[in-house]
Amino acid sequence: MNTTTTHPAGAPKAISAAGLGFGYPGRGPVLEGVTIEAAAAERVGVIGPNGAGKTTLFMLLCGVLAPTEGTLEVFGATVEPGAFRPEIGMVFHHTNDQLICPTVREDIAFGPQNTGLLEEAVSARVHAAAAATGIAHLLDRTPHELSSGEQRLVAITGILAMEPRLLILDEPTSDLDLRYRRRLIRLIERMEGQTVIVASHDLEFILETCGRVLLLDAGRIQADGAPAEIMADEGLMAAHGLEVPHSLVATWHRHRGSGVDEHGDAAG
Amino acid sequence: MIARANPEAVRESSLTRWETRAKLIGLLCLVFAFASVRDTRLLAPMVLLSLAVFGLSALPARHLLSRLKVPGVFLVALAVVLPLFSGETVLAEAGPVALRLEGTLAFLSVAARFFSIVTLATVLFGTTPMPTLVRAMRSLGLPALLGDILLFTYRYIFQLAEDLHRARVAARLRGARFGSIRSVSTTAHIIGSLLVRSNWQAERVLAAMLLRGYGSARSLEVRRAPVARDVAALALCLALAAVFVLSPALIG
Amino acid sequence: MHIPDGILPVSVAAAGFAGAGAVTWLSLRRIERTYPDPRAGVPRASLLTAVFFMASLVHVPVPPASVHLVLSGLMGVVLGWFAIPAILVGLFLQAVMFQHGGLTMLGVNACIIGLPALLANRVFALRRLLPARLATPGSAALAFLASFAAIAVGAAAAALLIVSTVPAHLDAAAERAATFTLLAAHVPLGVIEGVVTALVVLFLRRVDPGLLGEPRR
Repeated sequence: MNTTTTHPAGAPKAISAAGLGFGYPGRGPVLEGVTIEAAAAERVGVIGPNGAGKTTLFMLLCGVLAPTEGTLEVFGATVEPGAFRPEIGMVFHHTNDQLICPTVREDIAFGPQNTGLLEEAVSARVHAAAAATGIAHLLDRTPHELSSGEQRLVAITGILAMEPRLLILDEPTSDLDLRYRRRLIRLIERMEGQTVIVASHDLEFILETCGRVLLLDAGRIQADGAPAEIMADEGLMAAHGLEVPHSLVATWHRHRGSGVDEHGDAAG
Repeated sequence: MIARANPEAVRESSLTRWETRAKLIGLLCLVFAFASVRDTRLLAPMVLLSLAVFGLSALPARHLLSRLKVPGVFLVALAVVLPLFSGETVLAEAGPVALRLEGTLAFLSVAARFFSIVTLATVLFGTTPMPTLVRAMRSLGLPALLGDILLFTYRYIFQLAEDLHRARVAARLRGARFGSIRSVSTTAHIIGSLLVRSNWQAERVLAAMLLRGYGSARSLEVRRAPVARDVAALALCLALAAVFVLSPALIG
Repeated sequence: MHIPDGILPVSVAAAGFAGAGAVTWLSLRRIERTYPDPRAGVPRASLLTAVFFMASLVHVPVPPASVHLVLSGLMGVVLGWFAIPAILVGLFLQAVMFQHGGLTMLGVNACIIGLPALLANRVFALRRLLPARLATPGSAALAFLASFAAIAVGAAAAALLIVSTVPAHLDAAAERAATFTLLAAHVPLGVIEGVVTALVVLFLRRVDPGLLGEPRR
């Protein structure tokens, strides 16, 4: 299990949001009063029902949307909507929106090229990132022909090639088979120094990769803390349209102290 | 992202209650009558009539204004060329530049026709949902293939607008700057990707449609038969159109 | 390049509709003869028309301003005869939704944009004459040429129509100057369209050559 590493006092927080809110004019708020601080190298999971505001939060983090209230800083600098910050990398839920080049190699190179690197440096980044995600054998293939799992790994590789300090993943396991899912889990575990924030309905995935979880519902942070505690709280989870992940069910029964055995059947 | 042809809340009005085929024929005849107006005495009545029809439609003014803002390169060019270079009678002079009467009238003529035609077109499409419009056009003789392409394309545009928007956002997050030379290549890549994806998606769309009966004999019946009021409104439009077309010859 | 309402006389508008009607009828017959079930081609043609419609909303910077792409060349290259009904539908929607090009000018615009699209298709088809090793650069060059020609022919037709039919009492020299200016204004658009078409064609050749009528790899 990952724990938050300690940092020297004064190191800028990865994410520092105070009273962050967003709403479309004429409609109600989508996000309200969101206050979070995430230290560098933290792994934060974001869970919540559909429509809770997870994607909106991510769009605010990468500057696609401008907040209607509150402040937001990433690595000590205010997020300017529209500005390009290669240290913030976001992998979209719909990978189709991100993959636009004729070959995987070119698509991965797209980001680094836009940061002004020379060809050799770009090529080095591409190979390093592809090696890390294990897709070096796909470099000359066409993204559109790949399976959805392969496409998702390509999309992640394209963002990793930009060497982001903050990696944002929106539903990264949604179309991955078990093999790719395991590969993604191992990839995140091997990351050093990168801050990762993940939104997912795949609660087991959050349990395995994140040291902290935020429960978002109706645009507000409803809970913030250790995944094992928050996600084992049946009442809290049910109140927000979620279920306790299977691997915590035994824990849950122990917490209830109702004398049930580990399969959840009444003892005796 | 894309404004629909109909504004957000289509308010009920006499225009929305007018039977579609009668409305289509009536307003289009007026539109073409206006296009033929050359006599400057008819300009003001034409503009006033258009405004009256717009008023009846209960459409919001900004819907019309946003569409009038697209005059195109040609109109702007004419606004300069005609008053300054066309005609003999000089109205005012400032050095080498002279404002001419004939040219100014010619331009006002163009502007009035443009305004009136755009207003009527806005009313026609703003008060008629696309599927209803296509059904009416089909029953008036539009080939089936064209009607199908029109309806499908219209429905797909909104989803595609989302796809295009998200693709551009994703590209911008990876550093693409639309407005630079390199962005031409990025734009071409996005267009190409959308073409390929749409092409592959089309086969699945066709399969889904065939499973629901597309291509089998369908009835073309228009939902509502026209009533006397619809026909009377049509007759009025045709009469007005005739007035605009014939009056220069009659009044001399 | 789309001509707005109100400028040209109604006789020209009528001739435009007649011309567009004839070309559309011809293309629909060609489609019926080429495809065993033309209705099966509708989703594909519609989705591609929608892509073109959307793409033509894209601004490309041409200092000091920016232009909308027309993409008549690309439509001709990819859709062949289907480009005629597709362009007609696309123009109708552009006029209805954005007042881009006039409703009374639908026929005229369909002719000045649709017929050059067919021309672009024929120009691009010349790539079959190229030797195999020149196939890629040749396709790009022909794609550029096809699109540029489509814009040039369309702009010339539009310019001639406007200059000769707008009642402006211009003398011959002024008419020539006006035509020339309108044409010159479209050269940057032609170049950009040519480049975009060439790049898209190169992309399609690598990713889905079937879209260009070439055998899939």
